[in-house]
Amino acid sequence: MAKFRLYLEENNRSPLAQLWREFARQHSALFGLVLFSSFLLLSLLAPLITPHDPYLQNDSLLLLPPSWSEQGLVQYPFGTDDLGRDLLSRMLKGSTYTFGLALLTVLASLLAGLALGALAGMSRGVKSSFFNHLLDLILTIPSLLLAIIIVAILGPGLENTAWAVILALLPQFVHGIRNAIAEQLKQDYVTAYRLDGANNWQVLTRLIIPNIWEKITVMSSMALSTAILDIAALGFLGLGAQAPTAEWGAMISDSLDIIYVAPVSVAVPGLLIFAAVLSVNLLGDGLKVAIQKRRES
Amino acid sequence: MIVFLLRRLFLLGTVLFGLSVFAFSLGYLFPGDPLQNFSGMRYIDSTLREQLILQYRLDQPYSAQYLAFLGRILQGDWGLSFASQQPLLKEIWQVLPATLELTAYALLLSFMLGVPLGILAAIKPEGTIGKSISGIALVGYSLPIFWWALLLIMFFSVTLGWLPSGGRLGVLYEVPTITGFMLLDILLSDVSYQHAALWDALRHLTLPTLVLATYPTTVMIRFVRDAMLDVWEQNYIKTAKAKGLNRVQVLYRHGLRNALLPVIRQIGLQFSALITLAMLTEVIFSWPGIGRWLIDSIYQRNFPAIQAGLMIISTLVITINMLTEILHTLFNPLARKY
Repeated sequence: MAKFRLYLEENNRSPLAQLWREFARQHSALFGLVLFSSFLLLSLLAPLITPHDPYLQNDSLLLLPPSWSEQGLVQYPFGTDDLGRDLLSRMLKGSTYTFGLALLTVLASLLAGLALGALAGMSRGVKSSFFNHLLDLILTIPSLLLAIIIVAILGPGLENTAWAVILALLPQFVHGIRNAIAEQLKQDYVTAYRLDGANNWQVLTRLIIPNIWEKITVMSSMALSTAILDIAALGFLGLGAQAPTAEWGAMISDSLDIIYVAPVSVAVPGLLIFAAVLSVNLLGDGLKVAIQKRRES
Repeated sequence: MIVFLLRRLFLLGTVLFGLSVFAFSLGYLFPGDPLQNFSGMRYIDSTLREQLILQYRLDQPYSAQYLAFLGRILQGDWGLSFASQQPLLKEIWQVLPATLELTAYALLLSFMLGVPLGILAAIKPEGTIGKSISGIALVGYSLPIFWWALLLIMFFSVTLGWLPSGGRLGVLYEVPTITGFMLLDILLSDVSYQHAALWDALRHLTLPTLVLATYPTTVMIRFVRDAMLDVWEQNYIKTAKAKGLNRVQVLYRHGLRNALLPVIRQIGLQFSALITLAMLTEVIFSWPGIGRWLIDSIYQRNFPAIQAGLMIISTLVITINMLTEILHTLFNPLARKY
């Protein structure tokens, strides 16, 4: 429908409402949001909604096929694994580990990155330039290599994986936030505020943070997809979550030896990792576009 | 430009220094006896121990120990591997070419696919082609690589039986190692089954390269597309159009040259992600490269190997990063404001 513009419409909505309007116009972004929220809900509610105990080994029901095949049982929609554990419950439980833990690591990394980035961004001169270039290069140590070293020092386990991922994500955050702050500091309104007598802390909290949070959100979404993939990859390599833990990556490597008998037990965790990362990427892309459009309007 | 180069070199020196300090401290951070971690020897009797302590200056302060460590690294004495008791540097030179080969082909493939597809997607971003390319790129960007590799193996190796599922070369063929790069070695050798071996090596290479190239290709598509869309809005493009140049001319003379500049830099930035993915790919395809070697080292608690792997891989990534940045500055006058 053609839109009439009889009067000059003024858009006086709050920035957040404008952002949501632009965001909601993109179907893919909305789909990502729905998917993301359902994963979030799952990871919070997983212990309550699993139909069976994900660690209970039922030796009368080993390698039960999924319920859509003729031998399957409707109580076990995806069947059971080689130890008789319900696959659906394990998948649900896995969202807490892979998705929930990734969220936590990104949050922790973000907070640390915010503090360090603010310190780096508010300082000036040689110190700041040196810091920046140094970070540029620390960024280049492959995250998996860093994780391997941390695992070598602390030993394998889910908790150490989390530390490794936090450390691997940190340089990106520090670097991104530092650059965003440096960009803001050049703006006229910062100079004006400074002339009013504002100190560094006031400039940071009242001007800079409100102006860069959008960028931070986009950065976090990118970090989240990396975190999910890293946690799953470490689990797959056996360096992260250990055997009985129902982490998606570890589940894939557990079921590798029964891939011919029960392909579902490899296919579904992988699909879940894929869906989780896709939801985060859709959300991040949608946000990026929405932010850009809001700035233009 | 010279000042820029000097500054970069200085920075490179600083980072490598930091890296060596980190690597040195790992000798103490890793569990076990530091002397064993540094030398890589499993069993050290008391006379040898005294001798090694003197040689490694472990009785002196950390700074002296670090200097001794640096001296050993520069001389090429990187210690022994716990697992095989072979010199580490020699082992690394055996596995590194395999990784470099795989990474180089994947990078090349991602260029050849990513750049044209990105441009195609940018021509009509809201059209069917543009949207489907962006969609595919997003899907490829989100795929967990190990799962994707398993899917491809299940389909092409197990179900169809077209391609081998692992290794670099069939056991039927034996090619003498000259450079360590399989295809080069085959071409350089004068064995009678050269063509068959080359064909076999290519078949072995297909799946790992495809898997490894997935991520960089999608990154490249997204990056080129965004860069093109960005450049397309610039005033000089409008000027060029106003002057009467046709679409192809504008695209080639003004659009591509400006849009592809940041791509050079992107290679450097993506290289570390690529190495991470190469490590995973190598594990799945039993590719005898440095990634699989490192992961095996973890399982064997082979600490000297991890230390050496860290130094080699990080130096490689940092050097490539530096080189691409220098290249980028060389090509792009706008970046030369240092």
